[in-house]
Amino acid sequence: MKVSLLAPGDKKRIAQALRRFDKERSNFEWVSKNVFSLLAEHPKLRRLIHSVKWRVKDRAHLQQKLMRKTLQPPQAGEPAEEPITAGNLFERVEDLAGVRILHLHTSQFKPINKVVLEILQSQQWVVTGPEANTWDDEYRGFFQKMGIKTISRESLYTSVHYILRPNAQNPYKCELQVRTLAEEIWGEVSHTIDYPDETTSIACKEQLKVLARLTSS
Amino acid sequence: MNKRARAVRLAVYNHKGGVGKTTLTINLADALSRSGKNVLLVDSDPQCNLTSYLVDDEVVDSLLDGSDTLNGETLWSGLKPVVEGTGIPRRVPIIETSGLYLLPGDIRLSEFESLLDSFWMDCAQRRVRGFRGTSALSTLVNETAELIEADFIFYDAGPNIGPLNRVLLLDCDFFIVPAACDLFSVRALKTLGHTLRDWITQWEEVKRFAPDGAPLLPGKPRFLGYIPQRFRVYGASMSRGHSFYLGQLEKRIFSDIVEPLRKLDPTLAERNVSLSKLGEVRDFGVLVEEAQKQGVPLSLVKGGNATMKRSADLTFKQIAERLTQRAGNSGVTR
Repeated sequence: MKVSLLAPGDKKRIAQALRRFDKERSNFEWVSKNVFSLLAEHPKLRRLIHSVKWRVKDRAHLQQKLMRKTLQPPQAGEPAEEPITAGNLFERVEDLAGVRILHLHTSQFKPINKVVLEILQSQQWVVTGPEANTWDDEYRGFFQKMGIKTISRESLYTSVHYILRPNAQNPYKCELQVRTLAEEIWGEVSHTIDYPDETTSIACKEQLKVLARLTSS
Repeated sequence: MNKRARAVRLAVYNHKGGVGKTTLTINLADALSRSGKNVLLVDSDPQCNLTSYLVDDEVVDSLLDGSDTLNGETLWSGLKPVVEGTGIPRRVPIIETSGLYLLPGDIRLSEFESLLDSFWMDCAQRRVRGFRGTSALSTLVNETAELIEADFIFYDAGPNIGPLNRVLLLDCDFFIVPAACDLFSVRALKTLGHTLRDWITQWEEVKRFAPDGAPLLPGKPRFLGYIPQRFRVYGASMSRGHSFYLGQLEKRIFSDIVEPLRKLDPTLAERNVSLSKLGEVRDFGVLVEEAQKQGVPLSLVKGGNATMKRSADLTFKQIAERLTQRAGNSGVTR
């Protein structure tokens, strides 16, 4: 995706949003590191999971996301979204800070969710969610039985998301993702060839769907 | 956390030793008390000079002997549950003396102080434990102040820039800087200003990420003024050396304290530095020694030079009036 495709006003708006991100990036780093250490060092959680990692959103990926959102026509029947600006960036993009928990199989999610919520509550994080991205009927049932809202993504993306805030006023949110190692494989492959820029190769698209079915374990 | 008591919290603070902090604290508190205010003194210096000053030796000894027990009656006894991680601060009895209320100090407060560094780091890491620990002293003082309906709270701060002074300064609404008229006192102001600026800045950052409902120190100690101390008077005028340093003091108060604080937040210090001199306290020499011996404020000394006593009375009365006025005018609604 080329910057030259953008109208001058959009170019400026995106540049301003990116500047704000650059200026306040260290806060997102702080938040993600903080959540990371809270979870990674917890003995109760360590027994249930494979690993934890953190990251701050890559600037180039953020730029691509903002450009894609600007250039993509709104979905049929959906109203056009308000553009993302420097002012609403931190509200609208929820994964600028990110922490990810990896584990082995889906049934582990139940105790993981319980412990994660316990830990976050003990340190008084403001938690929204979880919400489960899933397309598999069996897993939809599994999450819904736990009272967790499910979302089905056309891309076949799967992962459970929580949004954390240090307090009600603080603008630096952190997205916590919980997924299996197999889902991580799909995520990595998809990120390499299909995201944030969608691949134009039909073969790749189809192979990604095959992989999604394989990894939905 | 409970609502903050209406009392104005103050510290007479200068990390430089020997500038007469404790003496000034007692006599200012006394002047305020005699104008009808309820004043709580908090001996938050592990050296417990304030307690030793106001309380009989035998009583101090017995307080210190028993302070580590379940029924201990010092500030340390009150904070011990927090240090041991077993609970919240426990209220301890107040000592009433010379018309003042005192929360007695304890040498063991240094144990509490050594933990405050780790509480501070926990706060920086947004750990709930840190907020409870950091505000423990404030919580205890708050409850005590409510009980006696205090109008003013004075923290007595030790001569250092340690973690105990950090939490009590961040709990204060105002601080007053006593300074002697000499080279060392003038030079020390730079460290004082920079230290306060750093504490306030760091705490501001901690607060931004703190959990909703965590007990938080206000973190906005405002510069109420300074008081040149202990200069000698010959006849009616002070010596030339002292008057030189008095000028230096005013300059440095502006450049080292007022300016850096105002850069952070203009409400932290008033621009007009000449207004911030709350008064001058001359060396009351023998009278001070006698007051210490008797364990009373200068106004209650038995015997002594009557002229000097009147002069002391007037000095502290005027400072107390200015203090009350400035504290009332600077937007803290009580």
